[in-house]
Amino acid sequence: MAKIINIPLRWVRLDNAAKIYPAARRKNWSNVFRQSVTICDEVDVKILKSALDVTVKRFPSIAARLRKGLFWYYLQQVEKAPEIRQEYSYPLTFMSNNEMRKCAFRVIAYKNRIAVEFFHSLTDGTGALIFLKTLTAEYLEQRYSITVPPEYGVLDRHEKPKKEELEDCFLRTAGPVRASRKDTTAWHLNSELQTDGFLHQTCFKLRSEELVEAAHRYNATVTEFITAVMMKALENLQTEKQPQRKKHKPIKVLIPVNLRALYSTETLRNFAMYTIPELDPRLGEYTFEEIVKLIHHKMGTEINQKYMSSVIAANVNDERNMAVRLIPLPLKNLVMKAIFDTVGEKKSCLSLSNLGVVKLPEIMKQYIKRMDFVLGVQAAAPYNCGMLSYGDTVYINFIRNIRYAELERHFFYVLRDLGLNTEVESNRN
Amino acid sequence: MYCINCGVRLADTEKKCPLCETVVYHPDIIRGEGEPLYPENRMPQRRPKSKAFHGVVIFLFLIPLIIGFLIDIRTNGDLTWFGFLAGALLLSYVTVALPWWFEKPNPVIFVPCDFAAAILYLLFINLHTGGDWFMPLAFPVMGALALIVTTVITLLRYLKKGRLYIFGGALMALGGLTVLIEFLLKVTFGLKMVGWSFYPLVALVLLGGALIYLAINSAAREMMGRKLFF
Repeated sequence: MAKIINIPLRWVRLDNAAKIYPAARRKNWSNVFRQSVTICDEVDVKILKSALDVTVKRFPSIAARLRKGLFWYYLQQVEKAPEIRQEYSYPLTFMSNNEMRKCAFRVIAYKNRIAVEFFHSLTDGTGALIFLKTLTAEYLEQRYSITVPPEYGVLDRHEKPKKEELEDCFLRTAGPVRASRKDTTAWHLNSELQTDGFLHQTCFKLRSEELVEAAHRYNATVTEFITAVMMKALENLQTEKQPQRKKHKPIKVLIPVNLRALYSTETLRNFAMYTIPELDPRLGEYTFEEIVKLIHHKMGTEINQKYMSSVIAANVNDERNMAVRLIPLPLKNLVMKAIFDTVGEKKSCLSLSNLGVVKLPEIMKQYIKRMDFVLGVQAAAPYNCGMLSYGDTVYINFIRNIRYAELERHFFYVLRDLGLNTEVESNRN
Repeated sequence: MYCINCGVRLADTEKKCPLCETVVYHPDIIRGEGEPLYPENRMPQRRPKSKAFHGVVIFLFLIPLIIGFLIDIRTNGDLTWFGFLAGALLLSYVTVALPWWFEKPNPVIFVPCDFAAAILYLLFINLHTGGDWFMPLAFPVMGALALIVTTVITLLRYLKKGRLYIFGGALMALGGLTVLIEFLLKVTFGLKMVGWSFYPLVALVLLGGALIYLAINSAAREMMGRKLFF
């Protein structure tokens, strides 16, 4: 059994981005996402629990439960790691208030896979990936008696958490000027809902080399290229649903932007903003090249410190307002939920979150076959999409709460027309 | 293996194409045994609604019932007005609290039930006060109202389009109901038919007609949307 360090339990305020998520929850929807790692052997649940016991002490802001104060929610470090949960037939099952009060993340073992599902108030995709890598490293150390060096996002489980890892960086990085929040309403697909709560996961697997080559042909990054494929698929789907072009609504894809590189920080809290490329199909049919160019310039204009600081300022200033701070939590929840419902979810058709190339210490690579990133569906829209690249494969995971794979089908057609080979698998058999 | 319909390459675990639902089958190709992404048929248990919550609601309804019973007995030595209170509480319970017992209460069932409860309550008041207004007035008016509301709710629930037609038709039917009310008031209480009901009838028919016109004419609908957006 590995040594577990003892430190007093901590509590932290929710960071600026995390504040909206508890208020926006509803009966059938909680903002949860999943990251998983598939290893070479069947997971030993006892060893995984032991590895988790060690790991949670290193991540006081992630291994936490959601508590209520009089004016704000806060996170309190859990006393002990949660039990390893069994897998169900679909990912991201509803996380109830009761569950979040006990622990706002889950660790799930199924055959060769270790999956962790996080409530989004705990951390963002990058923070979650560091947690998963560290948990996996500890598991591999205990299971195969190897030593994994603390590098490539694997943290040393036996050192104390660093102060900068717990920092709410939004407060520090807010700029002097607020960016405008005015935005157009995006097209949302209406289709027959899955009534039993089942979520369909569809994974597209592409060869990294082939995808990078295709992206470079269009002078684009992989994120820009896949976003263009997604927007083209959405445009085609909207045309299929509504043949009259003048009745079309804007196609918008929300791309989360990891701000850690922009502001040089090691925080494990939420520290991501977003950019939303948009095309207006009423203006005419866009070629793929035009869409790539549009996304490329949008991202080039917005992903820089100055612009991001102004977007952060717009959010942070509200939080700093004394009148807002003094409103009791139940009232704040009502207002924030109303804002989220009327503004937040209407900005985009879906989110496309790319964690990029996942790098691991050399010794871990031989044990790890695959990694996945799955976002939960939006509260009022049926789709979301998470992707990452591991080894020589890119894994693009769609999640949906409607019956038919309409968007996935169009996404595949666009990839096929671009000459890209893809393999598809799903959780519906 | 590739899908014979859409052409996507399928993982070995797929029994149907995840994109177009075409069944995967080829008699000459033996497929490898792949690991499915998730276990089959293992769904999370949905937590049933808390019975304690319903217990508390029933208790909240019982408090005024018991207090009313005791006050009526103590002050009058008999049950005089308690029946009205009990009926009102029962009606409130049926309309407000009863649907909460169900996972997904269907308004197409509950709305007629609510009207039936209201009609029974009116019948009780009529019998208790020795009135003779129930059959000639209350029953037909409540019955007609129940028919209009239930029809609107059923159409809204099961038809995805045509809301302007539904609301337009409902407004016209409500206009007709006002005429029926004036007529039944004359029959029941011998009131003079002065024709007040024609004013709401005209207003409601015009309003309903306008909605149906908007439903038919897309240019007018767009213009109204432009003028009235908020």
